[in-house]
Amino acid sequence: MSERIGFFICHCGINIAYKVRVKEVAEYAATFPGVVVSKDYLFMCSDPGQELIEKEIQENDLTRIVVAACSPRMHEKTFRAACERSGLNPYHAFHQVCVREHGSWVTENEDEATKKALTIVKAGLSRVAYQDSLIPKTFPVNPNTLVVGGGIAGMQASLDIASSGNKAYLVEMQPTVGGHMLQYDKTFPTLDCAACIGTPKMVAVGQNKNVELMTYSEVEEVKGFVGNFQVTVNQKARYIKPNCTGCGDCATVCPVETTNAWDTHTKKRKAIYIAFPQAVPVRYVIDKKDRGPCVQKCPANINIQGFVALIKMGKHEEALKLIMEKMPLPGSLGRICPAPCETECRRKEVDKPLAICSLKRFAADQADWENLPIPEIEKKDENEKVAIIGAGPAGLTAAYFLALDGYHPTIFEKAPQTGGMLRYGIPDYRLPQEVLDREVDYIKRLGVDIKVNANIGRERTIESLFDEGYKAVYLAAGAHKSRKMNIKNEDAEGVMHGIDYLGLLNRNQPVHTGEKVVVVGGGDVAIDAAREAIRQGAKEVTMVYRRSRTEMPAVVAEIKAAEEEGIKIEILQNPIEVLTEGGKVVGVKCIKMELGEPDDSGRRRPVPIEGSEYDIECDMVIPAIGQQVNSEFISGTEGVELTRWGTIDADPVTFHTGRPGVFAGGDVFTGPSIAVEAIGAGQEAAISISKYLKGEELFEDRQKRPTGNDWQKIPENTPLVERAKMPELAVAERISNYNEIELGFNEEQAVGEASRCVDCGGCCECKLCIDQCKAGAINHDDADKREEIEVGSIIVATGFDPMDPTPMPQYGYGKYTNVFTNLEFERLSNATGPTSGKLLKRDLNDRMKFTEPPKSVAILHCIGSRDTNHHEYCSRTCCMYALKYAHLLKDKCGHDTEIYNFYIDMRCFGKGYEEFYKKVQEEGVRMIRGKAGSITEKEDGILTVKAEDTLSGRIIEVDVEMAILCTAMEARDNAEEVMRKFSIGIGQDGFFQEEHPKLAPVSTPSSGIFLAGACQGPKDIPDTVAQAKGAAAECLALSSAGVVEVPPMISAIDGDICVGCQLCIKLCPYGAIEFNEFAGVSEVNSAICKGCGSCSGGCPSGAPKVRHFTDKQIFAEIDGILIN
Amino acid sequence: MSEFEPKIVSFFCNWCTFTAADLAGTSRLSYPPNIKIIRVMCSGMVDPKYVLKAFLNGADGVLIGGCWPGDCHYINGNLKARRRVALLTELLSQYGIGPDRLWLRWIAASEGTMLKEVAEEMTAKLKELGPSPLNKTTTKVA
Repeated sequence: MSERIGFFICHCGINIAYKVRVKEVAEYAATFPGVVVSKDYLFMCSDPGQELIEKEIQENDLTRIVVAACSPRMHEKTFRAACERSGLNPYHAFHQVCVREHGSWVTENEDEATKKALTIVKAGLSRVAYQDSLIPKTFPVNPNTLVVGGGIAGMQASLDIASSGNKAYLVEMQPTVGGHMLQYDKTFPTLDCAACIGTPKMVAVGQNKNVELMTYSEVEEVKGFVGNFQVTVNQKARYIKPNCTGCGDCATVCPVETTNAWDTHTKKRKAIYIAFPQAVPVRYVIDKKDRGPCVQKCPANINIQGFVALIKMGKHEEALKLIMEKMPLPGSLGRICPAPCETECRRKEVDKPLAICSLKRFAADQADWENLPIPEIEKKDENEKVAIIGAGPAGLTAAYFLALDGYHPTIFEKAPQTGGMLRYGIPDYRLPQEVLDREVDYIKRLGVDIKVNANIGRERTIESLFDEGYKAVYLAAGAHKSRKMNIKNEDAEGVMHGIDYLGLLNRNQPVHTGEKVVVVGGGDVAIDAAREAIRQGAKEVTMVYRRSRTEMPAVVAEIKAAEEEGIKIEILQNPIEVLTEGGKVVGVKCIKMELGEPDDSGRRRPVPIEGSEYDIECDMVIPAIGQQVNSEFISGTEGVELTRWGTIDADPVTFHTGRPGVFAGGDVFTGPSIAVEAIGAGQEAAISISKYLKGEELFEDRQKRPTGNDWQKIPENTPLVERAKMPELAVAERISNYNEIELGFNEEQAVGEASRCVDCGGCCECKLCIDQCKAGAINHDDADKREEIEVGSIIVATGFDPMDPTPMPQYGYGKYTNVFTNLEFERLSNATGPTSGKLLKRDLNDRMKFTEPPKSVAILHCIGSRDTNHHEYCSRTCCMYALKYAHLLKDKCGHDTEIYNFYIDMRCFGKGYEEFYKKVQEEGVRMIRGKAGSITEKEDGILTVKAEDTLSGRIIEVDVEMAILCTAMEARDNAEEVMRKFSIGIGQDGFFQEEHPKLAPVSTPSSGIFLAGACQGPKDIPDTVAQAKGAAAECLALSSAGVVEVPPMISAIDGDICVGCQLCIKLCPYGAIEFNEFAGVSEVNSAICKGCGSCSGGCPSGAPKVRHFTDKQIFAEIDGILIN
Repeated sequence: MSEFEPKIVSFFCNWCTFTAADLAGTSRLSYPPNIKIIRVMCSGMVDPKYVLKAFLNGADGVLIGGCWPGDCHYINGNLKARRRVALLTELLSQYGIGPDRLWLRWIAASEGTMLKEVAEEMTAKLKELGPSPLNKTTTKVA
């Protein structure tokens, strides 16, 4: 055998030698086939150690080298370099085996450790002979750096990179740079103000032309490798353009208020805000969450949160304008809408949902409709005519929007008056006709032509409308035909369907109402018919409904009102026959029902109880079990079809029927439904018709309905406020007439009710800010932007989270008013905080209010740190800032303020730190050696801190007015996500893992990615800045080298073995393998391959192998381990 | 005769489990010397042949260590390893090598303690099971 192997074993001082008998190993190695030199040395990695290897290579013509020492992760590079200096290809010649981390340090017994070392050495000596020469590829290094995190570490690193002339991309998640340091007040031990030393850095990163600042942004994806990273950054929609001057005019009008996270929620801010006055960039941001559930639920997509907020501000006119952006009938719907929005309202999580519907009515009722301004409309050519059949909510809405868009709509209404079901299906005491009239009049003022008593179907057909010059037709005729009960004697005298009964009454036509009336059904029409009957003089009205009360589709308030008016409601009964005498109604035979299995509608199906029949005496029966579409008017129109439910068939998105130019919507399309659904349909129809007339694609650019559930959190202490009660006419005052029963909110009620809104969507899109902004910087349609940037190196400086002490009930944080966290205290002390820098106690009744300086304060160290229940580690900064707080309290609240520090040990290790400790002690601060065990609150808000004074061995209790919890610094809650994005590691403490705790404190296992600041472990500002400068130096070293060597351990496919099955192509996570059609084999693209070996592990024929991890090499290692 | 000492060949991924083994060392956690480590770049690189070869050459157990699902340095190599081990376990059992002899464990770089525990657990289990059936045969022939 021509190989000449040299073996070298390191003592590592005594680290290896104290357990492994190195001489014995060396002697054994000498006997291994091919080994010509076998030596041991005290420190193989030292210069003399390396020289020893180089000398032996030269003198003995060694071809292969095995070093038994520490982990190859530690010194593989060192020894490879030594081999290279001696003219050997390091990949061919060198292998390192680990007898320290995997040997001496983990094996108790000397014999066992030595034996294990022998085995590992054997494996290494076996392997090395099969290694091949490899030449690493070099790539140019992109000189720019990505810095993730804009705290002091990120800012410092960016500035250092920028000062070299290279570019730094600084990505910060928040709308401003600054990080935790800028939330603080003074900094220990020098007490210089954080803002005074921090804001210049912020301004510098904002102004330096080599720093590209990307705030309110997050890194989404990192691709590539050292020197050549491609990074995708998502810039969140800020809704404010860069020309914002930061004047703050917008915030003065914004109606939405929430608490400011920058101020640890101790201070309020608006939905349009800036974190603090010195923020960089000085550019506002709109805090916009997903649209509220009310908006999402509203079929008409009304900006509910917006108009509610405007009512809260007293801006009723603006509120109405906002509502009318989506619908023309606010007063009508504000009276009769069953308000699906209210069932979704999140205020119910606190107490009761908001009275949204009544607020809409309030806004409408404040307006002077006759003089309501008409917006400027650019009218289109006169022949842009649209025919609309039906003047119900769908037709009116479509006409309204088409008119606003400049078209010339004409409504053809069969009935003598407009409104459809709103007029003919709803009694006047719920919706007075004047209310409807004023809204229809407004629609007319926009240029909508309404023809009443205009029947379509006989003389005038849909086709003939086109002949008359109408370019599109909208079918919105509603569903007015009452559904039959299909029981015996249904056509007897005295039976009148509910919808017909209401229709006649609303047309003021004579109707005979019986004395004893039975109404069949449980919906709104049934209730309205029953209540009408009472007003028409019926002595007894009974409603018969086949399911149970909870399943009644009518609005609950209406059911209640009906009962108040003396209407009897019989549930779980069903009529099976109308009883007659001489052709006239004398009663109804009913059967009792019980609830069975749920049916398709999810409601339990009523099942008759056999033998339970009984009769109800009556002289009038009003069936109101639903309506159907009367489709006569479309008969003979080619292309317009009916569904099997008798409704008109149309596309559910565009509402286009089979006949081009004919659209359908509202009840004719859905079957009987609620008015607000029809309004939603009218909106969509107007969009479709406009697109159709312009010749545009109907499906394109349609606005999607809002979705999502990322809503603003409802503050835990939200006080309960009763839902405003609608003033009503008393029963006696209303039962004999048609006066409107609900009287509407007064101003005070409306504003109070609107203030109950919990602002789910953050910004309410009332758009008041737009008019207010003189710079024109507001863009509510802004969207997230993705940007690709290319860099050669990355610094991760994502910082830390302060621990939330809520889960430690013994300290009462969140429960006791004057227990603060350290960060809250910093905000109090900071001039831009809630108290403008005064140290004040909270008001016992209002946590957002601050009253007077405390006379005594306890500062509790090590909350969550040095605590096996939370974090074992010391957070390193708390002792010092606790001393700082003590000093600040003495300074700001007076020297007679009693300050107690409860500590375990004082750790004042830095430059000037111990001196500061001494100074603070001299100020008269009491130091109690013992961790506080609990805080309790007395009735007057005084806090009792209990602790063991370990110096005296006594339990002590101290009464104070304020307590500050010095909480632990912990890893960010998204640390794992960041770890995955950047392929770095996390240590047991949750912080990012540096490559070596002492010698590579800013490096990570991912080459080209470095760490800085508290994301790597708790540290103070000086250490953070030093580390940031270290990380910047690493990046600049890479950049100035200009080229980077990439390990040559990548995959190669042996074309002689590959059968072309292409399994590897599917396995490769990087898409690095391509199929060569010509050769019929798969081939690796070496520029993309990262050497993971997914292909080599999966190939059935063994064609791909990762270089340096070939079958021969691994087999040799296995042999070395196993064969004696 | 001294107690049976199982031979365990381990394939540890460079990024997680190999690093965890280094951490066990720097933390001076001692564990049975039966575990012998072969460094691979990813658990997804472990060719089924390596496992078969180890058993054929006299291993009593094989331990594959990789990153936790979702943490793989190469996106999803560990998941490929998981599928291969499932199949291999099936195959090996047909040759009398039970599922307790081939272990796949997720051990992150920070989990030095877990590495020690797995090493102890596996050594104890194999001591209980005795030598690999393949080894018994070879011993008799020899």
